[in-house]
Order: sequence, then structure tokens, then C-alpha cells
Amino acid sequence: MVFARQRKQADTKNRKQKNWYLTIGIVLTACMLIFITVGFFWTPYKPSALSAADREAAPSLRHLFGCDQMGRDVFSRTLEGAGSTLTIALAVLAVGAVCGLVIGALCGYYGGRLDALIMRLCDAVAAFPSVLLALVVLAVTGPGKYNVIGALGVLFIPSFARLVRGEFLKYRDRDFVQSARLMGVGDLRIIFVHILPNIWPVLLSGLTIGFNNAVLAEASMSYLGIGVSPTEPSLGYMLKDAQGVFFTLPWCTAFPAAVAILLILGMGMVGEGIRERMGVAS
Amino acid sequence: MADSMAEPIVHIRDLNSWYGRGKDRKQVLRGVSLDLAPGEALGIVGESGSGKSTLAKCVLGMVTDITGELAVNSPRPQMVFQDPYGSLNPAKKVGWILEEPLRAAGVKDREERRRRVAKFLSLVGLEEGHLGRRPAQLSGGQRQRVAIAAALIQGSRLIVLDEPVSALDVTLQAQILRLLADLKEELGLSYLFISHDLAVVYQLCGRVAVMTGGEIVEEGDVDEIYDHPKHPYTKKLLEASLTLD
Repeated sequence: MVFARQRKQADTKNRKQKNWYLTIGIVLTACMLIFITVGFFWTPYKPSALSAADREAAPSLRHLFGCDQMGRDVFSRTLEGAGSTLTIALAVLAVGAVCGLVIGALCGYYGGRLDALIMRLCDAVAAFPSVLLALVVLAVTGPGKYNVIGALGVLFIPSFARLVRGEFLKYRDRDFVQSARLMGVGDLRIIFVHILPNIWPVLLSGLTIGFNNAVLAEASMSYLGIGVSPTEPSLGYMLKDAQGVFFTLPWCTAFPAAVAILLILGMGMVGEGIRERMGVAS
Repeated sequence: MADSMAEPIVHIRDLNSWYGRGKDRKQVLRGVSLDLAPGEALGIVGESGSGKSTLAKCVLGMVTDITGELAVNSPRPQMVFQDPYGSLNPAKKVGWILEEPLRAAGVKDREERRRRVAKFLSLVGLEEGHLGRRPAQLSGGQRQRVAIAAALIQGSRLIVLDEPVSALDVTLQAQILRLLADLKEELGLSYLFISHDLAVVYQLCGRVAVMTGGEIVEEGDVDEIYDHPKHPYTKKLLEASLTLD
């Protein structure tokens, strides 16, 4: 008994300590979201405005993040770029998560041959490096915001589908599900109203990982020059743009990269915090 | 008891049931016959693997690979499961859990659902305050009360009880058994009581059927069977439960 109590205390203590992940993650993510939201409505300069006088200016109070070789304000461009990166990442996540959720839920709940077939299909898609596959898709459809979202979104489906399917497999034969069937509750209601709320924690931490992958994937695509159009820069596009001046104008790469890193770090910590809190093994 | 056999709530003749498919298809029930009269509690006793749970599932319509006669004369027979930790949805509150059977039964009026929930809540000895709690915030006994209320609320007259008190400690067992006996009188329910525990069956059931290897080997009044067991398997079961006491 004493042992058990001591262990329990140790457990709760651990849990409290690890919840720092969640706290710091939420604060960091909130800061980034405020930063980005401001960028949607206001930037100190027009992101695309050229200023001959400020060419290659170092960070100062006038230009917080400095200026690039064409005299554009890096702070303004980072604000706009982060906004466009976030929008694309969220859209990719929405496509991948919603489709993955529906597919995974139906496969996990019903099982059978269709489930086996769809899962092999998912394996096939997941076997290719996602950026490579997205490259192929974009080579066919051409670049552009919506094509990027579509291509990456489809590639995000398998991981969500597998995650959700596993959870539904775990729940479909539980007593409370059988009990609902006996009461005459319909299958769709059992899936989305009875079982789904139970897998939220797992899904939520999956979403944070997916978000980070989406940010990285969008940045990689833009870096390779097949992402968004140059008129609407994303963080990845800015990095690509500035790689020639990496040593001479380090602020042109450092600040957009830092924003991307902080965005991912914050989300990653939120996800880790959720996993720790729910006792889900990572 | 013989007169009420005229219109049984469960009527089973020569029921065979199988598990699995193809090569793995195994027969679980062999020629089971039994009747359950309205208002009667029938205990089905046997060790695990004897087919008693499969028999319950057949009655509930959860097993479809069967031959023989099976007639159930009650709307939506319900089941109370052994583990009250698994039979209640952990993500929902008690109020929702109790309203859901009514929603499934097509009771659209919210006030009507609330009214019926309140009625059954007091029937099983719980209070309004429990409605806002999740299963994790209830004790094992309270959870089993919620599970019983949820099973009854659709108005089923036949309830299958699958080891409903095995997961509880002895004091709670007595309380839940008394509750089940009261509810049976009050609502005119019929119970199919699945258990390996003869002492528990003795407290609630008037008649008992002993199962082993998918067959009913002995059936009759509890007193008769407890005092004069005929089949060697029944004797073995009785001896085992006596040594435990």
C-alpha cells in the first residue's frame, strides 16, 4: 500500500513536470498565431515594396529584420510568408485529416476485404517519399497554391487513416459499443458519436505532428520552386530566394527560418504535452 | 411455473451454434432447449467455454450462425455486462448515456427523455447529481447501476445479465442483487442470468440450467438442483463453490 501510494505520488509529480511541454507549447503557439494574425491585417511596409535606399540594410529599428538585396522589408515579408505557410499547412491538414478520419473510421469499424484493400493502397502511397510524389503531381498539374494543397493533402491521408483505423479497431468490440448496437443505435452514429470522442486525444496529437509535417512539406516544396507563386511568398519560398545571400545578408534567411522553427517547436510541444497528459505512448 | 410456460418470453428448441468460418468453424452450442417464462429469472451456470455466453448472444441476436428454433418475445432484449468499466462510454456523461437508448428508440422530445431518465435513475438508486458525471467519476457499484438503468430504459422486458456482479466486491454484490430482484418485481422483468457462481444464482433465480460443453446437462428448480444434483458436472460445480464458501 505504501509502495503504491509512493508510486502514485511519483506519477502525478512526473505528470505535472511534463505538463510544462503543454504550457510552453501553448504559449509559444499562441504567440506565433498572434504574430501571424497581425500579419494578415497589417505589415509595417508593403511586403513587395522595393526601396533602393534600404537595399541590404541590416536589422534596425526602422527594419526589424533588415532588408533584402532589393530593399524589401524582411519583417513584412516574414509576416506575410508565415501567414501563407500557415494557411497552406492548415488546408493540407484539413484535407488529410478529414479524409483520413472518414476512411480510417470506416475501415477500422467494418474491417473485411475493403479495409484490407484500402490499407494496402495507403501502404503504397506511404511507401513513396511524400515530397517526391507531390513533385510528380505538381509536375502534371502545374504549381499554384491550390495544387500544392491538394497534392500534399492527399499524401497526408494514409498516416491519418492508419492512426484512426487502429483506434477504431481497439474500440469496435468494446462492451459499450455492443451495448449501443443492442439498443439499436445506427452504425454511423456509433462511429462518429460513440467512438470518435474517445479517440480525440490520439487524434489531436496526430494533428500536431501532421501540422508540423505540413509546414515542413510546404517549405520544402517552395524551396524547390514548385510551391506557391512568387507574388505570394511563403517561408520556404523566402529561404529559397535568399540562399544566394546566405553569408552576406544572413538576416534574410535567419528570421524566416526562425519563425518556421518556432511554429513547429510550439506545435510539437503541444502534441507531446497532450500525449504525456493522456498517457499515450509516443 | 408449468402454467406460465404457455407463452414463454424466450423459446429455444434444439439450438446449435457455430463460431468462426470455414476450417475453423467450431460448434459451440449443441441441441440446447429451454423456455423462459415472463417474470422468471433463469440462471445459466457453467465454467468459461461452456457456451453460456454464446447462448446469451444468440438470444440477443448477436450470433447469426445458428440452426434450430429461437423465439424471443420482447422488444430489444438488453444486456448488462460483467465489467461496468467497459460497458459505459468513458467519453460521455451519465445523463447522455441514459438518454441515448431513448434517442435510439426515437423519443424526440427532450423533456420526455429527461423525465424518463429521472425515473429510472431513482429506480436504480442514483441521484440527479450523478447525471453530470463521467463513468470514471463513479464507483464500480454506481457504474453497474447506470448500466442497469440504461438496459431497462427502452422498456425491454427481457434482460440478459452476464455475470453482472462478478466484478464487484461481496457487499456490493448483495446490493446489486437485491436491486435486480426488486426491479424484476416492480417492472415484471425476465432475467437470463449467466454466471459461474452458484451462490449468486441461488440468490436471484428460481430455476437454473447447468451447461457444459455446449449442452444443458441438468435443469430444474434451484433448490432441487442444489440439494439433489444428478449430473456429475453439477456435483463438481457445487463442491467447488462450497469449498470457496
